[in-house]
Amino acid sequence: MGILPTDAINALPYPAAAANLSATPSEIECEVMNLFEQFRSPLLRYVLSFGMSVHDAEEVTQEVFLSLFRHLQLRKSRRNLRGWIFCVAHNLALKHRYASRRSRDMTASDWTVVERQFDPSPSPEEQVLLIQRQRRLLAVLHALPEEDQCCLRLRAEGLRYREIAAVLGISLGAVSISLAGSLARLIRADGR
Amino acid sequence: MGDEAMLSGGFHITDQELLLAADGELPVRRAAQIRAHLAACWDCRARMAEIEGTIADFARVHRQTLDPQLPPIAGPRAHLRAQLSELAAKPDATPWWHFFHNPSAALAAACICVAFLVAVPGGKLLFRHSIPRGGISAVVPFESGTVPDRNLTPGATRAVTIGDVCSMAHEEVVRAVPTPLRQEILQEYGIVNARAGDYEIDYLIAPGLGGTEDIHNLWPEPYTSPTWNAHVKDALEEHLHQMVCAGKVDLSTAQHDIATDWIAAYKKYFHTDRPLSSDLVQFAGIS
Repeated sequence: MGILPTDAINALPYPAAAANLSATPSEIECEVMNLFEQFRSPLLRYVLSFGMSVHDAEEVTQEVFLSLFRHLQLRKSRRNLRGWIFCVAHNLALKHRYASRRSRDMTASDWTVVERQFDPSPSPEEQVLLIQRQRRLLAVLHALPEEDQCCLRLRAEGLRYREIAAVLGISLGAVSISLAGSLARLIRADGR
Repeated sequence: MGDEAMLSGGFHITDQELLLAADGELPVRRAAQIRAHLAACWDCRARMAEIEGTIADFARVHRQTLDPQLPPIAGPRAHLRAQLSELAAKPDATPWWHFFHNPSAALAAACICVAFLVAVPGGKLLFRHSIPRGGISAVVPFESGTVPDRNLTPGATRAVTIGDVCSMAHEEVVRAVPTPLRQEILQEYGIVNARAGDYEIDYLIAPGLGGTEDIHNLWPEPYTSPTWNAHVKDALEEHLHQMVCAGKVDLSTAQHDIATDWIAAYKKYFHTDRPLSSDLVQFAGIS
């Protein structure tokens, strides 16, 4: 697809990191801790969406940032560190899932959480409608192929198309088609 | 028809392009055209609002289902800080190639490379006349990647009976590996930029012999190996499946033999030291 620009998507928010080529271990430590503060929650959410326990997801997240430290210590590329972090997390999450042979049963747990997390201010009828709507969206989400789910979740965490493509090892066009198709299904499920 | 004509001639914008516009993924000029069209077209604006609304709903559901599970950051932060301090205290693992960051070292290395490039063709000319014709062709060289790394791919099986194995449909016996798992395996083996026809992500113990779709039972097997390639192993798998179902070989023996050394298993069950010509598909012929 020729409609995806390179200039806009390449403009990622890490100019300081790109210039920091001769950082000492303590400087790298600070840099990694700053990135941890910035990306720990999005990363943990993404890893949790693979259906692993909070404890395991936290371990994967720690491993990602330790790998980042080694990556920076070896003076490897600092271009698009956000994409790099999510890519490592994605691979570790997949590896963990296959290694533990844990069957994925996100649907039930998601729905339980949805029922617990309703806003107390609306009326009981509105709460029921809200929960039903969220259930419909989750049902569509879980029925999507895994790659489409990953595209949606990575986009929800703020990644640009180029970064999503790099994390999942697919083309920019595939990301665009996946997101458009998934949103169309979500719209239909919502009866909009 | 140009884009501007298309936008002003009663046509509408596709959902995909509306999403690209909403996500800021369009080139500046095209984004401006879309904005102008949206200002004029209620239909497209309504669809854009629909897309934006669904994005907002999805983002809310995504956060609401996962945020309550996130533990406080303080503990993990302290844990990571401690681990980083430990790592930072270790000697810097500067890779060997950083030697070349030194200009004089890089110059010296370049001189050695030039000398090598000059010397090697001369050496080849000398050797070309000293090796007898056909003297090397009888030797089957070791082909990289033809056997899996035992540490990464020891093999994995599920509990099956001969009845289960022999009643499996063809699609189950020859099962495609999902793309994410394929990518993970290629990455595990340090293979980057692999073309589709270069490797088969192969089961060490085939599903038809009770092997599972597990990373410990899968490895990237080159199609391009001239002798012991993926086609030859496929033939072995089929042969073993037939032998097991015919009661000529125990299922456990077949699993053990193929997992331990599939090339040795091929030689054992086909009674040959080299692949049969019917099993050997030369890589030059693969599209």
